[in-house]
Amino acid sequence: MNLRGQIWLGCLATPLVLAGSAGAQDFWSEAAQPYEGVTIRGVSESTPPSNYVKDVLAPQFEEATGIAVEFEVTSWDQMYDKAIKDMEAGTGIYDFVYIEQDIIYSYLARDFLVDITAALDETPDLKAPNFDTDAFTSFIDYFKDPETGDVYGVPMEAFVKVYLYRTDLFEDADNQAAFSEQYGYDLAPATTFEQYRDIAEFFTDYGETNDLELWGTTVQASSGHPASFYELFESIMPSFGVYNWGVNMDNWAASVENGGTMNSDEAKAALEFWVGLLEFAPPEATSSTWDEVAASFAAGRAAQGWVYGENAAWIATDPERSSIVGNVGVTLPPTAEGVMDAAAAGEGYIGYYDGGAFGIPHSSKNQEAALLWLEYIGQPEVQADWAVAGARIVMDSTYDDPKVQAQNEKVDGYYTLMREDGPLFAGAPPFPFHSQLREAVAPFVYQAIIGELSPSDALDQGAAAAEAELTQLGYRKG
Amino acid sequence: MRSSRVGWLLLAPTIIILIMVGLVPFLYILVVGFFDWNAFAANPTPQFAGVENYRRLVFDPAFLKSISLTLQFTFYAVGSELILGYLLAQLLMRDFPFKGLFRTIHTLPLLVAPIAVGATWRLLCIPGLGPVPYYLERWFDIQYRIGASVDQAFWTTVVMDIWHWTPLVTLTMLAGLSSLPKEPLEQAQVDGANKYQLFWYIILPMLKPVILTTVFIRLMDALRTVDEVWMLTGGGPGTATRYIGLHIWRVVFPKTDYGYGAAMSLLTLYLTLVLCWLLYVAMVQQRTGSIGNGGSK
Repeated sequence: MNLRGQIWLGCLATPLVLAGSAGAQDFWSEAAQPYEGVTIRGVSESTPPSNYVKDVLAPQFEEATGIAVEFEVTSWDQMYDKAIKDMEAGTGIYDFVYIEQDIIYSYLARDFLVDITAALDETPDLKAPNFDTDAFTSFIDYFKDPETGDVYGVPMEAFVKVYLYRTDLFEDADNQAAFSEQYGYDLAPATTFEQYRDIAEFFTDYGETNDLELWGTTVQASSGHPASFYELFESIMPSFGVYNWGVNMDNWAASVENGGTMNSDEAKAALEFWVGLLEFAPPEATSSTWDEVAASFAAGRAAQGWVYGENAAWIATDPERSSIVGNVGVTLPPTAEGVMDAAAAGEGYIGYYDGGAFGIPHSSKNQEAALLWLEYIGQPEVQADWAVAGARIVMDSTYDDPKVQAQNEKVDGYYTLMREDGPLFAGAPPFPFHSQLREAVAPFVYQAIIGELSPSDALDQGAAAAEAELTQLGYRKG
Repeated sequence: MRSSRVGWLLLAPTIIILIMVGLVPFLYILVVGFFDWNAFAANPTPQFAGVENYRRLVFDPAFLKSISLTLQFTFYAVGSELILGYLLAQLLMRDFPFKGLFRTIHTLPLLVAPIAVGATWRLLCIPGLGPVPYYLERWFDIQYRIGASVDQAFWTTVVMDIWHWTPLVTLTMLAGLSSLPKEPLEQAQVDGANKYQLFWYIILPMLKPVILTTVFIRLMDALRTVDEVWMLTGGGPGTATRYIGLHIWRVVFPKTDYGYGAAMSLLTLYLTLVLCWLLYVAMVQQRTGSIGNGGSK
């Protein structure tokens, strides 16, 4: 289109957009009239997307509706503590809570959450014209009741745990030549675990030889925090073909002899590979959760690693926080033979599709005002800037936004990967006992990290502990 | 009679608050401890289980290890604080340049919230980023990894506790030393007692009530340590610093195993009471012994 055409189109489109925007503006002020002056309270984990909600969307909503939003962003552990205690006791402190994809099944099992679809049907006056659950990506399906299809959470963030690597190191001609000579094949992002280990070893040696604070890989191996359990069970094991934490979904068995895969040969190989990477990881690896992994990678201390996608954008683009801006490559993680095909056929997955939504507890004392708030953050209009700030996408239309496209180029096509290959990843299995099972098994993972248990013993004991816990909880019989 | 009523009336708010925040939660925990109650179990309603939770505790290796670790932590931390606190109190009994400044700086850790202490020590000790591992490696070639070494993590929590609470012990010891009568010390010196004899036969017996009271307070504190350690190590590496408070927290909150956690809490409370009772008995005996000795003179 020529310039004149663009100007004409702009002249035509602007009033339409303004009219639409004014209409939406009218809706918020009118619908919120009965709740003006109300304060709604929420709690979430302190992440880039949540901080954007606190700093940008909450003040905007208050201006549009007169409903104040008090939004507490805290640590991951504290967030769960506070939200669950509040919902369990029915105190009604929080009007909306963060629901991570992996905990939704526990919340639904306990009937903690308001059915948003039903609530909107019952109060049509509160239905925003531009809020449409069909506009979301398929990630919203995780927050639906499988039987009724009703929505219990409005997605606010979604990302995949990707393989990040340092393009400056990988593309360096000297490194390529040296690597090729040492290992007999070209230096490129790993597609197999053997390659991944070779690259980790190569860059660890490179760092040592050149007196650099550089190691071969990040490892999210905090030896006292569940983050290590999550990296192993939700990223590494699936890429070895061990799904659903190795738990048999039919009889809730974990051990091989009872039909599970938690202590299968593949699972043991996965743990052995992962623990073996510690040799090539920065010294902070055994104290690293997801935050420290991102920080280590952003500080240029590792050549590659599995990193949560929410961090990809700031690592690649924010010079105030990252020393490797412009040198970040993004690709799919390595997988064992057959795993990629299984994922493509929908019979498995290669890693973790993470994210969360905001939901309304039954105990909330301001459910209508909270409903308006959830619709507000679920408008297509607020998504693009939020995506740029927090590297999260929950709506298909957001991918095409020019701002997101511009950032996509700087992040080596992270959003393209998420859009095209997102279906290869999956969220956590639908356990109503998510935290309970994790707490039962995690200590054995910690012991494997510090070498108190061999990978084989750790998973044998972990599988036994998992079955004991599930029996104690009344899910597993016999 | 009237004054008695007024007295009770004035005391009533305090008694009511004590009952509400002390007795009621205790009774609640006592009752919950007899139930099998997990918020995310197949049946999330409390089921009466009798003493089953207590039976499980006796055979629970994680719980027993946690108790054992806590006792070791308490022994080393409180013992060191006592010795250091006494030595520092003796130092502060003397005059030296910048004594006021030293006393102020020495007391500062007491003003810091435990969670902030844990965060500060984490920043100091985190491998790769903190100054402690950096300089230990650079100057002494010591690989300091609290995320990987069980021993280093354990001793770091002990040192952190000593850093935080020694000033309290110093202050109580200083108060005790300042209030000691001078006559017995002077008499002993006239009789030719050396420094060791003065300490062992004069100062220590007279200071014993202060020491026991201090141990009493520190013992209770150390046995319920949670926030500092949670911040520094999260109970790791492995379960090396999963002290009983932290262990109970993990059982009650992330695992939501309320019944079992309540039983654990009660058993820990019982253990604390027994230890404190033993100290109390020792303290009373000491006082009785002192009076008896005085009478016989």
